[in-house]
Amino acid sequence: MNTRWLSKDYLIERFASSAETGLPLGIRLFLLLMVLVITIMLGVVAILIITGIFTAGISESETLVENELNHTAAEISRHYGELSVQAIEFSKQLSQGIEKTSLQLGIPIDNLKEHPNRLEEIIAAQFDQAYLSLQKSKASGIFFILDATVNPKLKDAQYSRAGLYLKNMEPNVINASAPNILVFRGFPSIGRTNSLSLDSRWKMEFDVRQAPYYHRPMEAARLRQELPLSRLYYWTPALTLPGTSDEVMICSVPLIDSQGNVFGVCGMEVSGMFFKLSYMPYQTFFNRLFCVLAPQSGSTLNLAQSLVSGGYSVRSIVRDNSPLTITRNERSFYIYRQGNNCSFWGLHTPIRLYPEGSAFAGEKWIAAVMIPEEDLVATVTRLNVLLISLLSILVLLGIAASLYISQRFLKPISQGLAIIQSDDLSEAPLTKIPEIDNLISYLATRNQELYEDAREKNLSFSLLDEFVQNTAKLSPSERSVYDLYAKGHTAKEIADILCLSINTIKTHTKRIYTKLNINSREELLLYVNLLEEINKDKPTGSAPNHSSQP
Amino acid sequence: MKKHLFLLILMVITVSILIGCGGSAKLDPSHPVTLSLWHNYGGQLKDTMDEMIDEFNETTGAEQGIMINVTSISGSATLHEKLTMAANGDPGAPDLPDITTAYPRTALLLAEKGLLVDLNDYFTSEEISAYIPEFIQEGCIDGESLYVFPTAKSTEVLFVNNTIFQRFARETGASLEDLHTFEGIARTAQLYYDWTDQQTSEIAGDGKMFFMPDSLFNYSLTGGKQLDMEFIKDGRINTAEPGFKKVWDSYFRMAVMGQAAIFDGYATDLAKTGDIVCSIGSTAGVSFFSPTVTYADNTSEPAELAILPYPVFEGGKKIAIQRGAGMSVIKSTPEKAYAAAVFLKWFTSPENNLRFVSSTGYLPVTKAAFGEIMSQEIAQTHDTNIKKLLQTCQQMQAEYEFFIPPLFEGIDQLQDQYESQLRDYARNSRESYLENVHTIDSESTYEAVAGTAYQDFVERWAKK
Repeated sequence: MNTRWLSKDYLIERFASSAETGLPLGIRLFLLLMVLVITIMLGVVAILIITGIFTAGISESETLVENELNHTAAEISRHYGELSVQAIEFSKQLSQGIEKTSLQLGIPIDNLKEHPNRLEEIIAAQFDQAYLSLQKSKASGIFFILDATVNPKLKDAQYSRAGLYLKNMEPNVINASAPNILVFRGFPSIGRTNSLSLDSRWKMEFDVRQAPYYHRPMEAARLRQELPLSRLYYWTPALTLPGTSDEVMICSVPLIDSQGNVFGVCGMEVSGMFFKLSYMPYQTFFNRLFCVLAPQSGSTLNLAQSLVSGGYSVRSIVRDNSPLTITRNERSFYIYRQGNNCSFWGLHTPIRLYPEGSAFAGEKWIAAVMIPEEDLVATVTRLNVLLISLLSILVLLGIAASLYISQRFLKPISQGLAIIQSDDLSEAPLTKIPEIDNLISYLATRNQELYEDAREKNLSFSLLDEFVQNTAKLSPSERSVYDLYAKGHTAKEIADILCLSINTIKTHTKRIYTKLNINSREELLLYVNLLEEINKDKPTGSAPNHSSQP
Repeated sequence: MKKHLFLLILMVITVSILIGCGGSAKLDPSHPVTLSLWHNYGGQLKDTMDEMIDEFNETTGAEQGIMINVTSISGSATLHEKLTMAANGDPGAPDLPDITTAYPRTALLLAEKGLLVDLNDYFTSEEISAYIPEFIQEGCIDGESLYVFPTAKSTEVLFVNNTIFQRFARETGASLEDLHTFEGIARTAQLYYDWTDQQTSEIAGDGKMFFMPDSLFNYSLTGGKQLDMEFIKDGRINTAEPGFKKVWDSYFRMAVMGQAAIFDGYATDLAKTGDIVCSIGSTAGVSFFSPTVTYADNTSEPAELAILPYPVFEGGKKIAIQRGAGMSVIKSTPEKAYAAAVFLKWFTSPENNLRFVSSTGYLPVTKAAFGEIMSQEIAQTHDTNIKKLLQTCQQMQAEYEFFIPPLFEGIDQLQDQYESQLRDYARNSRESYLENVHTIDSESTYEAVAGTAYQDFVERWAKK
């Protein structure tokens, strides 16, 4: 393929001279095809814009996120609802059990503080109940705290409470032959009696200084004695228990004896790891999609008080304790901004952790599914880049096709022109384009005729030239005889005219014939006639000048 | 020619654009591959692991398109059980992770099922040569394929609650030096028992325990090595040699006489409540020692930890076990295997390896980290327990020989059986001892119960 015409210099030259010579047929055809290609592509782009294909990434993402949110929120509601019910049931059974054990020991339940030396016995008696409740529930931990301490004389004893806290290290493994349950808080003898190890962060008692799971349900139970347990349980925001780095959410229920005395709390735990494993987003389109269960305050979410699940290492965001501010996006998604740098796009829905009439009904929780803004932008951009790239490829293919077609179309014409300009049209190959082949055929025939004609003419002229040149060799006497022959006289008449004998005339005639390379008087007359035709206006006997003739 | 060149260029441009749009077969930072990771680093180790994984995700991981997601943290026994369940496809079992910490016994099981990636394919011989050869050798379970990549190794040392010990030593003249041999430990345990017994003169025979080895199997294995005896012979427990009697006696005597713990859990549990003073355990257990000891009345006191080299039987060789989980990569896609190898290279680079080591009590795995860098780290670390531990490890590295425990199918069960039976024998003998000690002197009582128990125990294992 000749691409010389694509070169800049060539094009400039061609266009500069186009005013005089006009554009070549190839460029004209190429430009025509390009107009068609561009028109089609503009039409495609217009259709894509009108049908919203360029913004389809966002709406598709929103659908994915919405599906994920619906599924996750339903699962969280069910799970947390079940745990709330199980915690209430645990509280009822535990309250009865502790009251019974206390009575057997002769200790009024409201007087536990006065009998620290019996706490180990009372608490150990509830181990089986706690252990079974933990195994039955989908919780990562179970606990109860009594409003008493084993050593009231110790410094900070007012913040120390006896109880038991068991942690299931593998709550998501259904079929573990031996559940990996550790004693996190409680008397070590309980663990040793029941073949449970102490957690590496074990302490004997609870430090209730910063323990909303202890104080809030007890306060609510004391202040609102009319409420049943189902209206007194409390879900803490995600918090870190003293001496640990694990985030947990705790559902705690007050322990109330048959006389209405509030003597402690019990409850269940959902650890950060358990939440993460339970609510890992299903879809894999966004690697950094994550799910959050967070307390909502006005238009803000506090990630530091949330449990988070997802492949994304969200710890890096949670490190910044500033809340997420929720704003509604113009067309889709909510935007969750943390400070100036960090923002997420996503959707959220309220999660009802409390029934109507609950002492904590005012606390709002939401489940949200979010994606880092840059990921969403990158995805939409990537889709559009893909689309634009494909369109660009189509344009490139259009250009290439135009170029190819125009070249291909012009090729036989160029070949035809070249053939026409060649010496021998008769042996020219067929272009397989009838019009051109007919033209070549016609031109070949025409050329042949012209050639034959010319060849004929050329032969005559060369003999005449020779004849004329030979006449110059004639002597004056022979010339006189020749002239008379040219005028049509016979030998006898010439003898009479010149008053010479016939034999003399014959001798001259013989020499004339020899010099002019002819054999007869008829041949001589033929030459003379031919010369007369060519030079009619010239006087007879003068040599014609036709050496330039073909 | 020009025509062909033009077509070629056009084709290259088109293919390049298509490839650019479609994504490459290699890792793509804009589409990170997520690797699930199971590990058995609990407590302080978990925090360090979390920090390092976050750092990886934000640096090398972000650059190369790899995201590590921890989906399980459990003890080594539970992890082994979970991996076994997952490998067998048991009902309720979770999916196998992409990377997991694995002891050789776990890796053996997974490798036999063809589930592990041969990491030799992802490390050059030059890269491999940076690691301590014995550690690499330990990970080549079948002798060739590198199935367990060394990430952090451990040995066993003697942990001593130095706060209690010094209080005891001041009154009895005991010395930490005595704890360098098993015979010295036995003497000190007797002394401690008597000393604590005297604290409550009104109650006779209520002396306290002094010692506990975390793993009685490792205890016997190492003791046997020190005494030039093969505790495991042809895949069986070998109780026939005289060395075994010495190893047996060293623990059994203390256990029966109430000086060593007969306990199913870890020694750190008992250390938390001051029920024992010293224990043999993995270096990785250092972070499980509480900085305080809490007593039954909820009073507590700070507990300073002393860390001594692994004790040696008198006349025995200085030999200690080399153990510790490495990381194995589960077969899935080439991209994930490549990404896992990138993580392992990052995690075991000398500076990162030592960061992990310096906060967890594990030993580094590269020659560079074990050398000069380790000395610098010892000087810099603010954690006094880790500092002591690394110093002790350096001392052991210079003075001790290390051995890799044997590995064969069924060694798990063998270990469990041996330990539980030894504890049962000790527990029963202890009960018999307590029943009879009031009638005759303690030594005669012990000889009476222990002699029978030993013969019975040896015969039982000889039959197996």
